[in-house]
Amino acid sequence: MEALNVPMADTPVVTFWEGEIVDIKNYTFFTGKWEAMPDDDIKHWTKFPSFAPFQSQVQADGGKSLDLSNYPFIFMRWKEQYFVNVGTDCGLTIAGFYYVCFSCADVTINGFYYDPNSSPFQKLELKSANEGKTGFSFSSYELQ
Amino acid sequence: PFPSLFPFSSPPYKSFRRRRIRFHAILLPLSIDTTDMPTTASASFTSGADGGPTSLVARLSSGDPDVKLRALREVKNQIIGSKTKKLGYIKLGAVPRVASILSAAIADGDCFQPAPAASPRGMLGYSSNVVVQSAAALGSFACGFDEGVQAVLAAGALPLLVRLLDHPDDKVVDVGARSLKMIYQSEFAPKYEILERKSLEFLVSLLNREGENVTELGASIIAHSCRTVEEQKTMLEAGVLKRLVSFLDGSVGQRDASLGSLAAAFRNNAEVITEFMGPHGGKPFNAIFRLTVDSNPKTRLLACQCLIVIRNATDCYVQELGFKRKLVTTLLELLDDPGQVGDECPFVLSSLVEGKEDLHKIALEADAMVKLRNCMDKENVNPRRLRGVLLALADLCSKLESCRSTFLSMKVLKPLTGFLNHKEEDIRIAACTCLKNVTRSVKNLCAGYFMKNEALVNALILLLTDASEEVQVAALGVVSNIVVDFTTHKSMFVAHEGMQQLFCLSKSMVPAVRSNALRALRNMTFLADDKCKEAIYLGMTPSLIANLIRDDELSVKEQALALVRNLVDGSVGSIEQVFADDSIILDAVGSQLQCCPNAEVLLQGIYVLGNIACGNEIHKEAVTCLLFPLAGRGPEPFFVNFLLSSDSRLRLATIWVLINLTLPSPGALKRQERLQNEGVLSIVRSMVNDPCLDVKIRVRTLLTQTEHFGDF
Repeated sequence: MEALNVPMADTPVVTFWEGEIVDIKNYTFFTGKWEAMPDDDIKHWTKFPSFAPFQSQVQADGGKSLDLSNYPFIFMRWKEQYFVNVGTDCGLTIAGFYYVCFSCADVTINGFYYDPNSSPFQKLELKSANEGKTGFSFSSYELQ
Repeated sequence: PFPSLFPFSSPPYKSFRRRRIRFHAILLPLSIDTTDMPTTASASFTSGADGGPTSLVARLSSGDPDVKLRALREVKNQIIGSKTKKLGYIKLGAVPRVASILSAAIADGDCFQPAPAASPRGMLGYSSNVVVQSAAALGSFACGFDEGVQAVLAAGALPLLVRLLDHPDDKVVDVGARSLKMIYQSEFAPKYEILERKSLEFLVSLLNREGENVTELGASIIAHSCRTVEEQKTMLEAGVLKRLVSFLDGSVGQRDASLGSLAAAFRNNAEVITEFMGPHGGKPFNAIFRLTVDSNPKTRLLACQCLIVIRNATDCYVQELGFKRKLVTTLLELLDDPGQVGDECPFVLSSLVEGKEDLHKIALEADAMVKLRNCMDKENVNPRRLRGVLLALADLCSKLESCRSTFLSMKVLKPLTGFLNHKEEDIRIAACTCLKNVTRSVKNLCAGYFMKNEALVNALILLLTDASEEVQVAALGVVSNIVVDFTTHKSMFVAHEGMQQLFCLSKSMVPAVRSNALRALRNMTFLADDKCKEAIYLGMTPSLIANLIRDDELSVKEQALALVRNLVDGSVGSIEQVFADDSIILDAVGSQLQCCPNAEVLLQGIYVLGNIACGNEIHKEAVTCLLFPLAGRGPEPFFVNFLLSSDSRLRLATIWVLINLTLPSPGALKRQERLQNEGVLSIVRSMVNDPCLDVKIRVRTLLTQTEHFGDF
C-alpha cells in the first residue's frame, strides 16, 4: 500500500500488508486477535451495507453455515507488517488493521481502520485507477 | 540349471531421489595375460620391496597354486574398507584375474565335491578354498563401491557366484551369497526378472533356505528389482511378503534387507499394501513400526523409510499425529549419525515431508530447520549429505511462509550463497532449489531482502553462465522469483549484467533454459516502468520476441506471450512496440491465438490483446481487425471458442478484451455496433448467468456499457 501526501514523510510511504479473506472456512468474521473483540468486529462489519444480509446469522452463530463463494463482495482483514521505504517515525502507524470490503462489480474497496489507540473508524476508500489508459490491463508474474 | 540373471533389461533404479547416473566405463582385459600390464597404475601402488600391488596382481596369474592362493588372500585383505585401493587394483586389472581364478576353480569340478573325510572338520579342500577366497575378493570389490560392482559384472563373475549357491559346503554358499548381495545392493546390478517363472522359483527358494546371507540375498534382489505393479503383485501372491515380514524378527542383516525389499514391494501400490496388511495394519505394520526404535541406526532409518513408502501410497495406516511426529523425530535424531545413515537420512526426510503442509508444521515444531541448518554448518560435510540437507530444507520451505521465515531468520543467505559456488554441480543445483523455494516469500520479496544482497545477486548471475544447463535452469528458477517487481530493487541485478545474461539465455538451444529465462524476464517486467521495458525491447528485438512466440515448445510460447503481456501493460509508448517491424509481434500473437491448442498459451495471448486494447484508437482498431479480419463474416472462430470455452479464465479474459474495446472513446460506438452486427453481443448476452462469478460480473459490466444494443 502506498500512502501519498504524508505530512512527516518526504516521499510516499509504502507498507507491506498481508490479508485474510473471510471465507468462513479459514477465517471467519471474528478476528480473534489484534485486540479486536467480537463486538468490535460486528461494529465494523455493519458499516458495510453489503454485510447486512449476514448480520443476524453472524451474531447468532458466527455465520458458520454461510456460503460466501458466490457473493459479489469480498470481506477481508488487512494487516500491515512493515514499512518498506521509510522508518517507523514517518508519522503513520501500522499497529492496527483494516476491515475491508471489496466490491467485485464496481471494483471499489472500502475499509475501516481499527486500533484501540487510534481514532475509530478511519476510512479507507480505493477505486481502480487506469492511469490514463482507456481500459483495464493486467500484468502477471509466476513464482517458481 | 540356474535361472538366467541376465541380460540388463532396464536402467538401474535408485530408491532415493533420482539423480543423473554417471556411468564410468571401465575397459578391462578379459583374458589372463601376464604380459598385459597396464601402464596407468598410480605411483602409490608400485612401491614396496616386493613390487607392491603390480606384483601382487601378477601373482594372481601364477602357475603356482599356493602363490596364487596367497595373492588372492592378500588382495582381499588389502581392499577391505578402502575405495582407493579397490580402484587402484581395478585399474591394475585385478578383477578379471580373480574372476578367472574362480571360473577355473569351478570348472575344475573338485570344488563341488565334499571335503575328504580325513581333513579336519570345517576345512575346505584346496579348490574350495580358492573358490572362497576369490568369491570373497569379488564381493569385497563390489561392497559399497559402484565402480567395483561394474568391474565385477564386466568380468563375467555374476553367473560364477550364482553357481556357488548350490555348493555342498555352507561356507562356500555363504560367501557366494554375500558377494552377490554386495552386487545387488548397487543400482548397477542387472535387473532380476521376477516375473519369469524359474527366476521366481529360484528367488523364493533363496528366501526359504537356511543361511542368513542367502535369505538376505533374496531380499536384496527384491529390493533392487521389484519395480512394476505386476512384480509387486507377484511378490504378494507368491507369499514372499509374508516371508519377508518373518525376517523382521531375524538378524540385523535380515531385518534391514527385509525392510528394503518390503519398501520396494509396497512403493506406490496401495492395493498390494491394503491386501497384505488388512484394514488395520496388524502384525506386519506393528513389526515395521517397532523397528523405528531399534538399537541399530540403519534399521531405524530403513523402518522409517518403509513406513513413509506405505504412507505415501495410502493414508490408511500412518494417519495419526503421533505416528507422523515419531517419524519426524526419529529422522531428525538420525541426522546426527556420522556415517552413511546420516548421509541418507535427509533424503528419507524429504520423501516424508515433500508436498505435505501438515508435515512441514510438525517438522517446524520439532526444530527440523535448526537441526538441518546445523548440518549445513559442519566443516567438511560430505557432498551427499550436504545435498540431502539442502533438498530437505527446500522441501520444508516449499509451501509455508512460517517455514521460510524461520529459515531466513537463521541467517542462511551467506552459507547458501557460498554453496552456489560449490565445485560439485549437484550442490549448486540443490542450493538453487533451496533458494528458489525460500524466495517464494512474497513478504521478503517486497522487502527487497534478496535483491539487496549483492553477493547473492552476483553469485546467481554467475550461475547463468555455468557450464551445466541443469545449473542454469536451477539458477533461473531463483532469479525469476527475486526479480518480481514489488519494489524497485532491480538496479543491482541490471548493473551486474543480469539482464544481458537473460537475453542470451532466451536464445539457448535448450528449451528449459529458454522458457526459464523468459519467465525471469516476464517477472522482471511485472508492473515495471517504461525504462525497464525499453531495455528489454532493445536487448531482445521484436524479431526475437516474435520467434519465441512461435517457438515449438509450449512453455516457451507461454512465457514469451506472458512477457509481451507485461510489456504492453503500461503507457501508450510501451504498447507501440508490438507494432514495430510491421507488427511482427502482433502477427505472432494472432497466429498463436488461431492455432495453438494449449489453454495456458491462449490465456496469455488473449491478455496481450486486452492490454493493447487499453491504448489509443489505433491500438484498439488493430485488436478489432485481428478479431474481425473480414467485415460481415463474423469474428474469428478462435474468438467465439474463447467466449464459449469451458475454461472460465479464457471466457473472462475475452470479456475483458471486449470491455476495453467498448469503453467510452471516440471509436467505441462504432466498435460496439460491429460487435452487435457480427453477433458477438448476443453470445455475450447468453453468458449473463455464467456459472463463474467473475465472468458473470464482467459480462454484466460489458452489457451495461453496450446497453444501446438490446435488452439483457
